[in-house]
Amino acid sequence: MAGLDDVFGDLVRSVDAVVLFSPSGSYYERCADLEDLDLIVIGTENAVGAETFVELPLAFDDIRERIRFGLEGALEQDLIEDGDELACATSVFSDGIDTVSRVRADVETRTGIYDLFVKSRAEPEVIKAVLELAVELGKKGQKGKPVGALFVVGDAGKVMNKSRPLSYNPFEKSHVHVGDPIVNVMLKEFSRLDGAFIISDAGKIVSAYRYLEPSAEGVDIPKGLGARHMAGGAITRDTNAITIVLSESDGLVRAFKAGELILEVDPEAY
Amino acid sequence: MDWQTLIDEPAVIAAAVLALGLVVGYLVGRLNEELLSASGVPEAVEGTPFERTAQSIGTSTVKIVARLSSWFIYGIAVLTAIHIAQLLDTDAFWLRVTEFVPQVFIAVLVLILGFIIADKSELVVGEYLRGVKLPEVSILPKLVKYSVLYVAFIIALGQIGVHVLALLILLAVYALGIIVVGTVAFKEFLVSSAAGVYLLLNQPYGIGDRIRIDDQTGIVQEVDLFVTKIEDDSEEYIVPNRKVFENGIVRIRD
Repeated sequence: MAGLDDVFGDLVRSVDAVVLFSPSGSYYERCADLEDLDLIVIGTENAVGAETFVELPLAFDDIRERIRFGLEGALEQDLIEDGDELACATSVFSDGIDTVSRVRADVETRTGIYDLFVKSRAEPEVIKAVLELAVELGKKGQKGKPVGALFVVGDAGKVMNKSRPLSYNPFEKSHVHVGDPIVNVMLKEFSRLDGAFIISDAGKIVSAYRYLEPSAEGVDIPKGLGARHMAGGAITRDTNAITIVLSESDGLVRAFKAGELILEVDPEAY
Repeated sequence: MDWQTLIDEPAVIAAAVLALGLVVGYLVGRLNEELLSASGVPEAVEGTPFERTAQSIGTSTVKIVARLSSWFIYGIAVLTAIHIAQLLDTDAFWLRVTEFVPQVFIAVLVLILGFIIADKSELVVGEYLRGVKLPEVSILPKLVKYSVLYVAFIIALGQIGVHVLALLILLAVYALGIIVVGTVAFKEFLVSSAAGVYLLLNQPYGIGDRIRIDDQTGIVQEVDLFVTKIEDDSEEYIVPNRKVFENGIVRIRD
């Protein structure tokens, strides 16, 4: 099979670094034993204890998203440079690594997804948990019907002053944090509440039923999105919060930061 | 020879006791192993150096403990058999041995348990402190480990009748030192957390309220057990909760 090695060897010839996506422990150690090799591990958690690690906020199912997000994180952390040739090893069909793809790191395609998680006011785990919550809500819906939801994360004090209550706050004097097990139980009830959820930097659910009152001046979000997205996008311009919106009409989860649409994922894909 | 006289023969009874002891010991060992496995002991001790050492010599913690109980019963059976057969006619020796064997057994058990708990607590504390990448901090897990080991040794030694008064005094001094240092170092934390409990339960102010503590005015961004974060236009103050009680809060309504 030496011939095959020659043909596929081109894929990994003279790459600047090898990027492993969620490798198993033994796989990682085999790669780590190789000399003269820059190794970067990307995954939802650093299970192998690698030194250079980039965290993914979601286990992206789409391989292009997964690699794009991972490389953006690596660029942001200065682990790789613009124009580096990389061999990305990841899994597509099975649980283990079964695919190698040669990718060129490109600063131009930067979307700010990585910034959304790591450089926002709220803690990355909180944003991750809220995103998972929105995806879960989008998947389940209410009795099979699609639902919408709006989460404002971070800078809660300011957001509270830029919004008013629609009704009594069900989270008054409660200490519920996103990521608590109870939140998953309450998930179904969430979709019945109108208005926005406001979540603090540390993940406390401060309020539900909030009517956001930002000034929508100069907010540039794609046409065709409704009032929920407009309100969600606009509040991120007025404050340092980010918003995660589940659309009722098309079922997509979108994230906004500084008035711009940063991330768009389909809950059905996870 | 008659059947009846055979049963009365001490040697025969001794042999029967010995056989019974062997069977019971083996069964208890097996039962122990099953029980320990079923109650999740292998998972609990996984990764501790004691377990790893046991693994490297081809056994495991569960097996060692199970064997120990077996050998304990074998020992009793052998001693009882010797006594019945009257091979050693020394009542004083017998009395001491019956007292001593269970104590040794418990001492060994305490030691094994001590080693495992020490290793486990070292792992847990190490894991908890992993985020803090300071070389000085890595001494803490070791300290916890050896403290637990020390206590286990004292219990084990006390069990087999060694005088441990001096060691106990050392332990008391050590514990007292920790308490004194702890109260001095964490006094502010304790006061703040007591105030924090009140703040979290009663919520005299919540996120989004405009308040003044001392001369720092701003919007509340976060309240946790130890601190309240209030933010002005460009400045974020992180105020320890004890200040709330020392100076009072002003809620600003407009």
